[in-house]
Amino acid sequence: MKVKDIRVCVLRLEGTNCEEETAYSFRQLGADAEIIHLKQLTGDVREDEKRSLGDYQCLMIPGGFSSGDYVRAGAIWAARVKSAIGGDLIEFIEDGYPVGGICNGFQVLVELGVLPGLGGTMAAEPEIALTINDSDRFECRPTLLEHENTCVFTGSIPVGMISLMPSAHAEGKLTLPLGEEDKYLGKLIDNNQIVFRYVDPDGEYSGYPWNPNGSIYNIAGICNPEGNVFGMMPHPERAYERLMLPDWTRNTGSSNAEEYADGRLYFASVLDYVCSKF
Amino acid sequence: MSLYKKRDAAFPLYEISLSGATDHELQDVSANMGIGLSLDEIKSARNYFKSMGRNPTDIELQALGQAWSEHCCYKSSKPILKEFVFGIDAPQNILAISEDAGVVEFDEEHAYVIALESHNHPSAVEPYGGAATGIGGIIRDVVCMGAQPIALVDPLFFGRLDTPQEDVPKGIKHPGYLFSGVVSGIRDYGNRIGIPTMAGMVYFDDDYLGNCLVNVGCIGIMEKKHLIHSSVKKPGDIYVLVGGRTGRDGIHGVTFASAELTESSEESSRGAVQIGDPITKEPLMHACLEVNERGLLNGMKDLGGGGLSCVVGEMALAGGYGAEVYLDHVPLKEGELAPWEIWVSESQERFMLAVDESNLDEVLYIFRRWDIDATVIGKCIPEKILRIFYEDEMIFEIELEFLTNGPVYRRECEIAETLSPAESIDGMLSEPDDYNEILLSLLSSQNICSREWVIRQYDHEVRASTIIKPLQGKLGYSSHGDATVVKPLRNSYRGLAITCDVNPSYMRIDPFWGAASALDEICRNLVSVGGRPHSLADCLNFGNPEKADRLGVLHEACRGLGFVAKKLGIPFISGNVSLYNETALGSIPGTPVVLGIGIVNDVRECVTTDLKKAGSSLYLVGCTSCELGGSEYLRLLNRLDSGAVPRVDPDALDRSMKALLSAINDSVLLECHDVSEGGTGVCLAEMSLGGDMGVMVDIGSIAGSLRSDVKLFSESNTRWIIEVDTEREGDLKSLLSASKVDFCKLGVTSNDGRIRVSDGSRMLVDVSLKDARYAWERTIYNLIG
Repeated sequence: MKVKDIRVCVLRLEGTNCEEETAYSFRQLGADAEIIHLKQLTGDVREDEKRSLGDYQCLMIPGGFSSGDYVRAGAIWAARVKSAIGGDLIEFIEDGYPVGGICNGFQVLVELGVLPGLGGTMAAEPEIALTINDSDRFECRPTLLEHENTCVFTGSIPVGMISLMPSAHAEGKLTLPLGEEDKYLGKLIDNNQIVFRYVDPDGEYSGYPWNPNGSIYNIAGICNPEGNVFGMMPHPERAYERLMLPDWTRNTGSSNAEEYADGRLYFASVLDYVCSKF
Repeated sequence: MSLYKKRDAAFPLYEISLSGATDHELQDVSANMGIGLSLDEIKSARNYFKSMGRNPTDIELQALGQAWSEHCCYKSSKPILKEFVFGIDAPQNILAISEDAGVVEFDEEHAYVIALESHNHPSAVEPYGGAATGIGGIIRDVVCMGAQPIALVDPLFFGRLDTPQEDVPKGIKHPGYLFSGVVSGIRDYGNRIGIPTMAGMVYFDDDYLGNCLVNVGCIGIMEKKHLIHSSVKKPGDIYVLVGGRTGRDGIHGVTFASAELTESSEESSRGAVQIGDPITKEPLMHACLEVNERGLLNGMKDLGGGGLSCVVGEMALAGGYGAEVYLDHVPLKEGELAPWEIWVSESQERFMLAVDESNLDEVLYIFRRWDIDATVIGKCIPEKILRIFYEDEMIFEIELEFLTNGPVYRRECEIAETLSPAESIDGMLSEPDDYNEILLSLLSSQNICSREWVIRQYDHEVRASTIIKPLQGKLGYSSHGDATVVKPLRNSYRGLAITCDVNPSYMRIDPFWGAASALDEICRNLVSVGGRPHSLADCLNFGNPEKADRLGVLHEACRGLGFVAKKLGIPFISGNVSLYNETALGSIPGTPVVLGIGIVNDVRECVTTDLKKAGSSLYLVGCTSCELGGSEYLRLLNRLDSGAVPRVDPDALDRSMKALLSAINDSVLLECHDVSEGGTGVCLAEMSLGGDMGVMVDIGSIAGSLRSDVKLFSESNTRWIIEVDTEREGDLKSLLSASKVDFCKLGVTSNDGRIRVSDGSRMLVDVSLKDARYAWERTIYNLIG
């Protein structure tokens, strides 16, 4: 496929709030990104507004506070997606199409049971959880991510590269089943499912604030074993351009300073993947 | 015999026999019904209904109470505002003062919208809900002009965090509880609705112990052609109420806001605080903007103070018509609300649309698609009368001009004498022995210490358009910025700089120069990032205007604001007045919070407050005088009320701004930070902390025979400290000289990790960045946890 023919579905619901900048990032790279309300996929709208997951080659679940996150973050939305289009989604994933979740979207993918995907495409119950930050607070701060394993959203990012992307969440601490942490962690490592880990400016796996939530093994993002479903807490769409970075005024030396920042590679990678695969 | 007579109807409705009532009985009616009308006001209501040949219903009197409250009609402040603040003409003005938010030109095709208001009394009673609904309300003010909100601002004022619990009077909540409740409320609403909270201030002072201030501001962006007014267009326009359901929350919010807080406010006024719901608001905002952008609306207004009672009449009258309303159509949260309760309820998340009948179906469909209630509740009629029906029975009929023409008072106003500036402080206090200790104590003081605890709880970069963030500097070492910058449009590098400010300690000593200083700091902050001051909004928080000395403070403050704004030609485009901010403990200091917006021609030229490069030169721009009144230095020494506050020379301010903007435009400056609380000493430390870089400075070069502590801690206005590459020093000096701006070289930046300040050969300060950071960073965490 050519990039201009790729249709990206950026799914929204009441309370999602990063859909504009997520769609913008795809559009900047030439893809046709559409912001779609869940109701448009369930058919509860006028004929001309109806859509089907099969119309798209990439599904993105953006950040926000879907349905307010008044119960576990992402849980309400996941339940709604599952009951409305669960079957379509399984098919979409098994066909190898990429599904990405950022921040609240990551929480949704975990609650849906499509991440980590250890027990099949979509587990009946969530296998892991993204729980409340150790600080017990919402935290909006720059984070540094070391790229450890490649998935379809990171193909253009060299392994070992450290990217600057901000985090902004209250529930981002990746937590594995109590008493079975080592077993689960071992599987994630063996399957090369740990894509990003939080590091400090020296590249070390350090604690708070560089690990902003207390996530186990400094995990910032994981994919399914096949690598086409990927969720991460930090926001690549907020690091698309250099001017979005927190310290860009310190790095203005060269006159042809890079216009883009590390987050762009996330979007470019998945579009490359779709182009080559479909 | 009771004055209240229940009408024979299937719903609760009373007629009130005002005609034969004594003065005492009239006052009782006002008190019993909670409508806050004075004796003269209720008499004027009586005369009106007499002329109609009948008694009023409860809903009619309630409506008058709402419409004539200070909150709705500015009856005490209007003459003063008109004299000093309103009417500053500028070519960028599109819509000033007249509607819910001000509208200003951004570029050829776009306008930006700003609004600022208070949510003080609700937040004092219920900090979480009060602050959250404050955010909700200010977002509605911006959306109802047709604009997409892009930034939130939150100036907050509390008692000292270390106030011992036994010093907190009965019926008042501890400042620590209020502060964390308010921050949580702003966080949970702002973060959920997805609008970045980008700027604000937090100030702690004993005088806010009884009455905290929670002000909230919002900035939006729109295409000019989408500007929509809070008005109907023609008779036949249909009133569609959209959003949340109406309930018993938020009854009498405006009358609550127009009286002093008392010991029993918690109990009596809890119902005046509304409940916010950002997850209704988020799609509601999108739906309102969608129907407007598609040209389906004739008018739109948000429901704020006074609820339906204010919005229906104001929209009709603005179009030159009247309205009729079918009140039983309003969707309710709970059954059994009396008609008057429905009419005055301030339940959140509601807008009123005026829709042409031909567009009605499409509008209703769009709201259904977003899962938002949309209900036809009335229509516009040709005559300027408001009629309300409940189950087909008329329960309200008042001429709109009478209803909305609230009284205006020229209340008695007493202006206090203020001190003239002192030439020196020699007789007043002796010079400190240990400057290191003074600087570290200032850095850890509540009004100077790091605000990171607050800032990081707010999502300040959702929408991915926050170009200059509130915390600035090297990764992991950031410090406070002077202003933040948002880039509203994806395809343009034009930006808006945002800041807000006031210094209550100056206000307490001298409201005229205090208010003038607030404007000076607004301009300094905007210029620091490269923003040209462009428009202003004010939220005037003052005491009880029925007391002459309090009104005198308001008068002087407005005169001070007008003095600087008029000289510089920067318009006040929007504002809000919050009076009666006092308790048995007394009045708050007059607190004219100013929100300033600057235009940044190209955000790629912006600079921040953190030091960038070792070996570069530091300059102080502006004149330092002995102006310690209200300074944080004197607060530290418990001499807060001594001395004269900083003054403002608007001409010097104008020259300095132009020179610095031109320097930023030419990329001459590596860093720029304004000098404010804590003077040059604190300013240097903040720059060092942000850049994780030392300084070596000699303040001996500061002109005038000032004592070292004055040079280091005086808070004279119109000053900045700037960092410049040695190669560009020549350019800088010739630019400043040509602009007739005072400046002196302070020293250089260094790689040795220390803040070093001398006065000539005498070493004053020598502290490590590590110690400075430790002092500055931990205070709020230690006090709040």
